[in-house]
Amino acid sequence: MTTDTAVRARLRGAALVDALVGLLGPDKVLGTREDLLTYEYDGAVDTATPDAVVLPQDTADVAKIARFCHERRVPIVPRGAGTGLSGGAIPVEGGVVVSFARMARILEIDVPNRRAVVQPGLINLHLSTAAAPYGLAFVPDPSSQKACTLGGNVAENSGGPHTLAYGVTTNHVTGLEIVLSDGTIVRLGGKAEDAEGYDLVGAFVGSEGTLGLVTEITVKLTPLPEDKRTIMAAFPEIDQASESVSAIIAAGIVPAAIELMDRLATQAVEAAVRAGYPLDAGGILLVEVDGLRDGLDDAAARIETVCREHGATTLRRAASALERDRLWAGRKGAFAAMGRLAPAYYVQDGVIPRTRLPAVLRRVREISARSGLRIANVFHAGDGNLHPLILFARDDELERVREAGLDILRACIEAGGSLTGEHGVGMEKNCYMPLQFSPSDLAAMRRVKTAFDPDGLANPGKVFPTPGRCREYQLTATG
Amino acid sequence: MSASAEVVRPASADDCARALLAASQARRTVRVRGAGTKDHLGRLLPTDLTLATTGMSGIVEHVPADLTVTVAAGTPLAQVQRTLAAAGQRLPLDPPYADAATIGGIVAANSSGFLRARYGGVRDLLIGTTTALADGTVARAGGRVVKNVAGYDLNKLLIGSLGTLGVISECTFKVLPLPAASGGGLARFGAGPDAFAAADAVARTAARPAALVVSASGREAWELLVAAEGDAPTVARVLAIAADAVATRGGTFAAEDVDASLARARSLAERAEGVVVRASVPPAAQRPFTDAAARLEGFAECVADAASGVVRVRVQGDDAALLAAADALLAAARVCGGGARVERRPAALAERVAAWGDGDLPGRFLMERLRAAFDPNGVLEPGRGPIA
Repeated sequence: MTTDTAVRARLRGAALVDALVGLLGPDKVLGTREDLLTYEYDGAVDTATPDAVVLPQDTADVAKIARFCHERRVPIVPRGAGTGLSGGAIPVEGGVVVSFARMARILEIDVPNRRAVVQPGLINLHLSTAAAPYGLAFVPDPSSQKACTLGGNVAENSGGPHTLAYGVTTNHVTGLEIVLSDGTIVRLGGKAEDAEGYDLVGAFVGSEGTLGLVTEITVKLTPLPEDKRTIMAAFPEIDQASESVSAIIAAGIVPAAIELMDRLATQAVEAAVRAGYPLDAGGILLVEVDGLRDGLDDAAARIETVCREHGATTLRRAASALERDRLWAGRKGAFAAMGRLAPAYYVQDGVIPRTRLPAVLRRVREISARSGLRIANVFHAGDGNLHPLILFARDDELERVREAGLDILRACIEAGGSLTGEHGVGMEKNCYMPLQFSPSDLAAMRRVKTAFDPDGLANPGKVFPTPGRCREYQLTATG
Repeated sequence: MSASAEVVRPASADDCARALLAASQARRTVRVRGAGTKDHLGRLLPTDLTLATTGMSGIVEHVPADLTVTVAAGTPLAQVQRTLAAAGQRLPLDPPYADAATIGGIVAANSSGFLRARYGGVRDLLIGTTTALADGTVARAGGRVVKNVAGYDLNKLLIGSLGTLGVISECTFKVLPLPAASGGGLARFGAGPDAFAAADAVARTAARPAALVVSASGREAWELLVAAEGDAPTVARVLAIAADAVATRGGTFAAEDVDASLARARSLAERAEGVVVRASVPPAAQRPFTDAAARLEGFAECVADAASGVVRVRVQGDDAALLAAADALLAAARVCGGGARVERRPAALAERVAAWGDGDLPGRFLMERLRAAFDPNGVLEPGRGPIA
């Protein structure tokens, strides 16, 4: 049974770095203070400095590193591009960070089977770029897709705007090669859709590095849509926009994507990207339908009708690929654009049933007013996946910011939702897990952890509440 | 089939968990049973107890505008579909025994149908579960929202677990609006490779057919069935793409009653004669796999979900032919880069044909650890799945 106590590494600091150099050679190990500082953060707000960083070249290297760490009870933390938003790649209990920067190749694009076999360090967008000449794409498209890696996508079960119709990472992974924390190499699944026995691929995807390290990934590639229609609808009030989301679904249309942006987000995006969104809008919807071109104009017209009935004052249908890209550039660049509003932001990732959007967005506004913190909203409305961006300026505001974030998550859970839709639990929300899950729910998950990682060395301090860091939270499930 | 002396019918997850705890403590073995439509799956050893899930029945919550439904596991799929249809929606699952099968059984047996081509299988539609465990606790995973990465995805482990990890008491699914229009067509071919080539040509486009089924009722009688759903212009276009793909391979594509054709294709899985092997192979491997199948002595029929690579083969003949065919098909699936199980065999051969052959599955030791962690006394469906 995994214990809640932190892993006690038998080797740390310079001695660990030296031993790793002995194991792998100097080219694959980073250990100077300056080098290690580069790996103390990811896309979230927590930091912790690793004892060492290793850069394996292949699966054999990874297995060697894991065996070495296992013998010395050193935590092992995988890292892709470090774009994660829940501290997943942060070595909160120290140990070795395994960077997959040198395992970034596409091993195979198998057109007849519509599969690709890739290494975990491959950048998400590079796969779709490589598959495009064959009329295929890897569908999950996180906003960070120009930087984030497939290994990170597997760890976090990443989503993106187009998961509404096509599913998230777990729906597109059929095979994995993993290295357990004791160095055992296991191949799971393959190019077939179903594997006999328990669905270990399904259990591993989204496990945030806590069950082992992934060294090879087999994914489905999906035929590119023949065409798309992208609609921008601007509403005076955000409630009109969020009510339109449910109304579109109720009309029997399931678009490829429905994204929502509030006034504050729109202003930042326009200042940074000039996507052409009306600055006076209280809420902006970006809706995309895709597939065969035959039904698209009808579907787009029906969506526009629904939006108009709900008070849309501006409706624009992208007339060209260029115009469509411009509309999407605003959405995809929204997080980066927040720099126009404040020096820093903290993004939350709660999920709610989409019918609860208007009510929960009102709660978010109340939380903003009460805390005195500005909150911009830009999110996957079709999935009910909120991304409130809590803006702040100084580090000493961070506690207040986290408190506001927790209030938003409570509102999501009370609405029947979830702590996280795509960013993961990591070390950011592990203390909040009891809000959503009972002790027996968590105990069941822990059995899975123990089956894969009996010694608790794989990315410790993540997903599950840890008594050390979580003592201050007296949280219990409400449902 | 192999009825146990005692039957318990818990009415709730808590009741169910209490029954499992008592059984586990007393080392009494448990069969988990819904409508009994999966009694042919795996090795059914006699158990001390049968836990009937039918006492946990009914729609727990359906929020049409959220496109989600939560149901008790003993509810028949057909009842769920009736409730959803009243709101213009459905759960896009069309497994074998769709009239009788319960939700819990469909999930525990990972039982999908041909609509998987477009809408995904059980693993793509199930978003939340409540499960009674052998230690008397109740564990929830996932939730009622369509996107959720909080905690491990235990739902995936339960799908296809055949009751060996716990008893599913409640499930939440994504649902979809009923399609505005649908249609379908059928083409006949003299050889399997032509049928698969036409299917592949459709699968490579953006057509996203609702179903893409290749079947054979003899070595030289192959059919391709294409079903389309959506708005009327899209349905027409999908069928035009299919007709084109068929014509290129020298076939003729004719309009067909889709529901009747799909029901016919589905019936193979329900036929209790001979040996039925269910394989999941990479899409392009269906051609060599079915080619090998069609050469077997006693080959009767095969049905392939050409979009997903799930192929069922039925073989008839004497015991020697059936034994040889089962072995050959399990091996062929593996050679093709996939896996398979013997889904059905005559009762007389039950002890001679292991459903999973030698049971040498990738990651087997991890499965054994999971099984031991969830059911340390091994009382749940002993011998049923590949991890006995």
